[in-house]
Amino acid sequence: MRFSGILALLLEGAGYTLLVTVSCVITGLVTGLGIVALRRLFGKGVARLLALYTYVFRGIPVLVLLFIVFFGLPGLGIRPSPLVSMMLSLGLVCGAYLAEVFRGALDAVDPHEIIAAEVMGLSRLQVILSIEFPQMLRLAVPGMLNEFTTVLKYSPFGYTVGIPEITKQAMALASTTLRGIEIYTAVGVLYFGIYQLLCLLMRMIERKFRVPGFATQ
Amino acid sequence: MALLEIKDLVKRFDGRTVLNGVTFELNEGQTKVIMGPSGCGKSTLLRCLNRLLEPDGGQIFFRGEDVALPDTDIRQHRQRIGFVFQQFALYRHLTVLENITLGLRKLRRLSTAAADKKAAYQLERMEMGAHRLKYPAHLSVGQKQRVAIARALAMDPAVLFFDEPTSALDPLMSLEVAAVINQLRSENVTMLCVTHDVSLARHVTDRVIFLDDGQVKAEDSAEQLLTTHADPRIRQFFGQPAALK
Amino acid sequence: MMALTDFLRDVGNDSALLLGGLRSTLLLATTISITGFVGGVLVFFCTLTSNRIGRYWVESYISFFIGTPLLVLLFLMYYGLPQWGVRLSPLWVSIIGFTLNVAAYNARYLTTAYRGLDTGELEAARAQGFTSWQVFTLITLPQVLRLSIPGLTNQVILNLKDSSIAFLIQYTEFFAQIQELSARNFKFFQAYLFAGIVYLGLVSVIVLIARHLEAKCMIPGVRG
Repeated sequence: MRFSGILALLLEGAGYTLLVTVSCVITGLVTGLGIVALRRLFGKGVARLLALYTYVFRGIPVLVLLFIVFFGLPGLGIRPSPLVSMMLSLGLVCGAYLAEVFRGALDAVDPHEIIAAEVMGLSRLQVILSIEFPQMLRLAVPGMLNEFTTVLKYSPFGYTVGIPEITKQAMALASTTLRGIEIYTAVGVLYFGIYQLLCLLMRMIERKFRVPGFATQ
Repeated sequence: MALLEIKDLVKRFDGRTVLNGVTFELNEGQTKVIMGPSGCGKSTLLRCLNRLLEPDGGQIFFRGEDVALPDTDIRQHRQRIGFVFQQFALYRHLTVLENITLGLRKLRRLSTAAADKKAAYQLERMEMGAHRLKYPAHLSVGQKQRVAIARALAMDPAVLFFDEPTSALDPLMSLEVAAVINQLRSENVTMLCVTHDVSLARHVTDRVIFLDDGQVKAEDSAEQLLTTHADPRIRQFFGQPAALK
Repeated sequence: MMALTDFLRDVGNDSALLLGGLRSTLLLATTISITGFVGGVLVFFCTLTSNRIGRYWVESYISFFIGTPLLVLLFLMYYGLPQWGVRLSPLWVSIIGFTLNVAAYNARYLTTAYRGLDTGELEAARAQGFTSWQVFTLITLPQVLRLSIPGLTNQVILNLKDSSIAFLIQYTEFFAQIQELSARNFKFFQAYLFAGIVYLGLVSVIVLIARHLEAKCMIPGVRG
């Protein structure tokens, strides 16, 4: 096979890799933010339940979770698609880790500002949305980048449930061309490129939302 | 013979000349204070003398031997100089006792027992014996300072360097530091002290060196320099209360 | 209820295989935790070099391994290297691949902790006349290691969990044996859930040890 043909297949795979990564990151963000907000709004009982969730999802390997969802759930009559399976395993794991990142960032928000906002008469939810979250998200940028990177790095698991992402394309190409070294090296570089793109994107977002004198490293 | 003889010392940072030919002497048993406005190169000077910074020119004679030469055994040289830092720089993961014994054990190769004994002596000397098992975080600022001095003294240095010893202290504790330095003076410890604290200089020294624009602008007894010196810039510097500088 | 007892009977029947798999999992996870730790400390030491080119290469190493999936590296070695006549066992491929990867992560934790260190202490140690290796082993490393305990133990947990991907290159560890079990009795959900619970149990043990270690190694007045 020609080099250009190999490249085309790998790039096609890259599209699926991005799809998997973005879907799981969005799942993670929604669950992570949801967990933090719920913990802020409700009492100890809910907080304990959420702690259990994060503990479980951070304690079980992503691959095992993926297999529970994709190969296990059909036994109970539920048949999630490959992409949904990734979101329910990798995405929810990402959410659990992000919840911890957000919690750490939230602890760094100045409590006086929160009290000041409450004194002004803002509701609990208003304080969360207008004071705590905007500061928390800025403080959490490095942690979020870590978690997004982790999602990208676990996205190859998609091949085990039949998603034609980069790694699956590479396996097929390697077995037909018998040029595993070149192909997997190219794949490594391709992932690294996507990772660099991710870093660049996060830096741009960070710069756009940067507040002078706040959380500058 | 002078213990330290500094000749035409030059130090540049990125093309900016911080020390521009500094020359002075320090005799055995003498205490000198180096003063001057911030940014005059005081701290840089101290760091050049024990080669934490590399001087760009000039000579540093230590008991007649030029230690600014490239082939000088820097570590050997540093071990002869006790350095008390502005922020004390105690090793936070070690107890007070361990802070002092570390150098004795690892550099002087003393046994643990011998090192402990020596450290205990220095701690008693600094009236810190009761605190030897505490960690730096549990000490007051003044206590940290005493440990830092004990740590420096334990190595039997030929000279003790102080870098702004009172800048982190309130006025009352500054007097305490002055008392400690005077105690050491009465024991004939050779000391070189960088400070911008005029009252400290008044209390502890034979001689004050005034450093400005990277050069020694004057050297005289404290009283002379602080009250009646001819140069108006120097009079102005010392005429202001220390707190404003 | 019947289904559960049935399943547990299957687990009991296969207990020898499952325990063997668990042993392989623990062997791999322990080995890479140790080699990854030593490697991380060495890489971290290299990041402290004042040589600009050296530092560039070390930084590139760290960010490359943090930015690429471990699975690709394992595939490269396991499926690619035979092309050059190099055939490594799944265990060796895993050990080498994981070590390279884990060392990069550990070095990153240590570097982060190092940035928070009081540079005055390092200067004081140099002023006392310690060699740079002595400053590293006596002052830098003890503090940096203690500050990085959360990151480093977290990495041990990740090592245990990630060791499950070694089954994708035919290393017969615990999860591979679970696959075997489920392929025989078709109780996929129970089998994988069981695997998940076992991993969660092992992780909990590490968490408990880590907490103990953290409390024991705390430096007074230094935020860990």
